[in-house]
Amino acid sequence: MKLAFYSLTSCEGCLTTLITKLGPDLEGLWNNFDIDYFKLVREPVGGSRIPKADIAFVEGAVVTNLDREQLLEIRKNSRFVVALGTCASSGNIAYTASRGVDLKGRRLRDVEISEAEPISSVITVDYELSGCPVSAEEFTDALLRLVNSIEPVQPDFSVCYECKMKGNDCLLEKRRVCLGPLAMGGCGAACTSVGAPCFSCRGPAAEADLDAYLKTIEKKGVDRQRALMLLHMFTGKKVKEVLKNEQ
Amino acid sequence: MSSKEIIIDTSELRFIEGHGRLTVKISGKDVVAEFHNLEGPRFLTKYLRGKPAEMAPRVASRICGLCYTVHSISAAEAVERALGIKVSKEVRDLRNVLYLANNLRSHMMHLLYLSIPAIEGLISVLRMRDKNVFRVGSRILTKATELIEIWGGRSVHVPNVVVGGFGAPIRRKELLKSVKDLAGLLEDAQGFVRYAMDLELPDLERYRVLAASKKPGTYPIYSEDAAIALSDGSIMNGQEYYEGLEEVTKEYSTSKHVYFKDTEITVGALSRMMLNRRYLSFGARTLVEEVEWRINPFLVVKAQAVEVIHYMEELIRLGGELADVIMETENPAVCSVVDLETAEGAYGGSKGRGVFIAEAPRGMLCHSCEVEDGLIKEYRVYTPTAVNSMSIERDAVELVKRFRPIGMEKLKFILEDLVRSYDPCLSCAVSLDVYG
Ligand code: SF4
Ligand code: SF4
Ligand code: SF4
Repeated sequence: MKLAFYSLTSCEGCLTTLITKLGPDLEGLWNNFDIDYFKLVREPVGGSRIPKADIAFVEGAVVTNLDREQLLEIRKNSRFVVALGTCASSGNIAYTASRGVDLKGRRLRDVEISEAEPISSVITVDYELSGCPVSAEEFTDALLRLVNSIEPVQPDFSVCYECKMKGNDCLLEKRRVCLGPLAMGGCGAACTSVGAPCFSCRGPAAEADLDAYLKTIEKKGVDRQRALMLLHMFTGKKVKEVLKNEQ
Repeated sequence: MSSKEIIIDTSELRFIEGHGRLTVKISGKDVVAEFHNLEGPRFLTKYLRGKPAEMAPRVASRICGLCYTVHSISAAEAVERALGIKVSKEVRDLRNVLYLANNLRSHMMHLLYLSIPAIEGLISVLRMRDKNVFRVGSRILTKATELIEIWGGRSVHVPNVVVGGFGAPIRRKELLKSVKDLAGLLEDAQGFVRYAMDLELPDLERYRVLAASKKPGTYPIYSEDAAIALSDGSIMNGQEYYEGLEEVTKEYSTSKHVYFKDTEITVGALSRMMLNRRYLSFGARTLVEEVEWRINPFLVVKAQAVEVIHYMEELIRLGGELADVIMETENPAVCSVVDLETAEGAYGGSKGRGVFIAEAPRGMLCHSCEVEDGLIKEYRVYTPTAVNSMSIERDAVELVKRFRPIGMEKLKFILEDLVRSYDPCLSCAVSLDVYG
């Protein structure tokens, strides 16, 4: 079976997460699959051409014309395309940050810059593994499922669930803006466990209910404007799904 | 010699972070090199404008998937300086350890996955004849990442680094364990480093001014009060250095190049080695003698190998010392000094400017910010890659002039090795995008 790992506009933190978390086990992945493309790990087979693959994992958002062209090639040559991480699945911070910048103001010689988009704005995506960065465990699990033709799953509970299970004090009680109730769990409530609020870097939870959340924070005296600002941060284009029931 | 124009084009560079390309145009005696950043901007620093100052570490983290720890720490420091927040000595000591772990992780990634296989003409580290090099190297990389995870709260994009200190205390037991694990790898690391030290590298000595942090008697990486030294003998403080930085736009690059007072300077492991090597840790000092250090960019790989031992020894030493200071229970000196991100905005009403400079893996990294009424007004990140871009181009020209007889195909590969020896990070460099 052929795997491929690509990187579009990103911090490459999703690929480095896989590389460092797999560590010496990368050898196992290498020996068990044909990997013709893996940015940072190998020289691509056939130079810059996009090889045929059964499963392609794509990290990063679409920002440049090069991203776009590469992504279209990837879709053409891959049976199954997985968005790897929040940049690929929602556009991440760049989605909001690139809007409102005067991109016409400066033309570059070889690169055209557009507003950042998740890869699903350009191609059909078969599965999304969100997370900033993606979780190596969820990646391995998804890979094993895909190899056995089973659909992968991401957690259906929110960050709050894991946070409560850990016995953390709720930050909302301290009137700090925490997006835990809206955020997809699976990270073990990494941020709130060290006292930092959740910014929902893994995308919306299946059970996200914005109305209920806004009512709760209002009762607790937590800043609504700020919560909405933070909701846009990582949720990128997907914020539309979360906001659709609002107003 | 024909005056026909020849272009050497690496197309997309292999084995570097982000997307880039180098072209060299030869027409007669004229040789012009262009180092293209092809990475798209993510506008993270623009995003910060108008946002509460305490968001800076979390956003800046996303600049780079390798150096997120140093970007977070630098962001916290820049904001603290802007707002006049003083952090305790314990916070600084802990940040120092995280900083060293970051640099160790980045060097291991660069040496193991990116540079050594390419220098040896292999398609991947997984094709190395001596499998042990990969196994040992990847274990060190994984351990360094674990240390960051334990201290930072997460392996990549660490939430525990906040303005004012740390969100949660670091536990003594975990700290001791991570240090002990590293100590257990030191001997294997010597073997790995030996491999890198024995590599045969091209000779491309070319004079230019080098720059690195300087603090008497130390090998400064993250330091509150280090000065900045140039190899021409001048010494300045961080503010003076910052004021000398100039942004230059190139139509072929998504990121700006950075000059220092209209001239070229080179930063990074080789510059640190040239200026501070006397103060390396014991084991690293023994290694350092093996190399005749000259201003040859290819030697960066060896400088990084020496630093791997330095970072490990320092982490083991400092970690041990810190374990004596840190208690299992909450230590207020270590925790955040302010209850951040309250609904009212922690820093409403406060304003100021802050600059922070430290030695990231690839060289001096500078974060600067302006805060007004608790909100960020302006944020800029001057990365070592942006500073080194001019040196990369000049070295490429020099290389082509000197090595031309070997033929264009071979030249292309050596040019690629040259760029890679600087360990450029184009995802970082694009923080200084051409749009502002
Ligand atoms: S999702 Fe996060 S970690 Fe992954 S590439 Fe994007 S910014 Fe980096
Ligand atoms: S701190 Fe955040 S994640 Fe934890 S319970 Fe409260 S709202 Fe949920
Ligand atoms: S707590 Fe929230 S922001 Fe932190 S890692 Fe989990 S989902 Fe991401």
